[in-house]
Amino acid sequence: MLQKGMAKKVTIFINEDTQHHLESLTDTILTFLLHRGVAGATATRAAAGFGAHHVMHTTKIVALTEHLPIRIEFIESAQKVDELMPTLYDLVTDGLIEVQDTQVVKAANKDRPLPPKALRSEIRGAARMMRIYMGESDKWQGEPLYEAIIKRLRMMDIAGATIYRGILGYGVKGHTHKSGRLPFSHDLPIMISVVDLPDKLNRALSEIEAMMQDGIIVLSDVDVIRLVHGRPLTEPPNANS
Amino acid sequence: MRTVKQAKLLRLHFSEGDHYQGTPLYEAIVNRCKELKIAGATVFRGLVGYGETVEIHRHHLIRNDQPIIVTIVDSEENLARLIPEVEEMMDTGMIATSDVECIRVLGPSTPEQS
Repeated sequence: MLQKGMAKKVTIFINEDTQHHLESLTDTILTFLLHRGVAGATATRAAAGFGAHHVMHTTKIVALTEHLPIRIEFIESAQKVDELMPTLYDLVTDGLIEVQDTQVVKAANKDRPLPPKALRSEIRGAARMMRIYMGESDKWQGEPLYEAIIKRLRMMDIAGATIYRGILGYGVKGHTHKSGRLPFSHDLPIMISVVDLPDKLNRALSEIEAMMQDGIIVLSDVDVIRLVHGRPLTEPPNANS
Repeated sequence: MRTVKQAKLLRLHFSEGDHYQGTPLYEAIVNRCKELKIAGATVFRGLVGYGETVEIHRHHLIRNDQPIIVTIVDSEENLARLIPEVEEMMDTGMIATSDVECIRVLGPSTPEQS
């Protein structure tokens, strides 16, 4: 299972009609990647292109349609790519292999819970708590600030955050946040409380600070007694159920 | 430039049904905070709770008796001025303080107050 963070992206350019032991080279490479447990690989057929031979491969001329370029892409950890590369080097007799650094932002699998979720249950003892105060009407690029902050925290894998809506308050801006006569007055005070390990919270802090126009952020040391992740690590339910 | 200041967080726990001279206690406390030039105060309403009197505070059909929490962040000196006043206003309830580090985010629209 692919993890978030830095990884390698491998792109292989070959011809559709290249053979390897009487089988198409594309199939051979994909089968090899599948058996070696690569997280995922995609082969795409191009509409046109040319390579080192300087012959145009295109769909427009029937005689040339058999030589269309194929692009196989997969993303894996640097270590895994290192393991696979000698075999791929051997397989691709006519074509090009390219490796580049990439960043995995999300690797989601709806059948299996993400591995970091399991690790998170191990938070114990000293941790930090962050409280962020703002107004309900504060915006960040058109969306409510508190929603934008929660989304950002979730993307950063922060253990958890809760939004509270106050019923009355005042602060930096000097005006009172109070629900008016109308039921849809939306300028009540908002507080977000977040608990996680100090270094993770510090990373989140600088991002949140940049998003906020005004407001107050309060940090304090806390002791976490227990943190059990919501989904138990059981077998995924049957697909047909 | 980020300025981190040592500050205190004050939490007042009482009931929504508490009153001070005819006004709801939480409103009276927020007004008193403003008079004393406290940096800010926020009132939250809880869902269910209980306290000293062991009476469950919850939403009733006619009267509201949900728990109320007022949180205030300011310097230790300012809170020292506030606490005796609040203590006198509160009938039953709880006052808790904790040490915090405070980061103030000030936008270009709000000039720095001296």
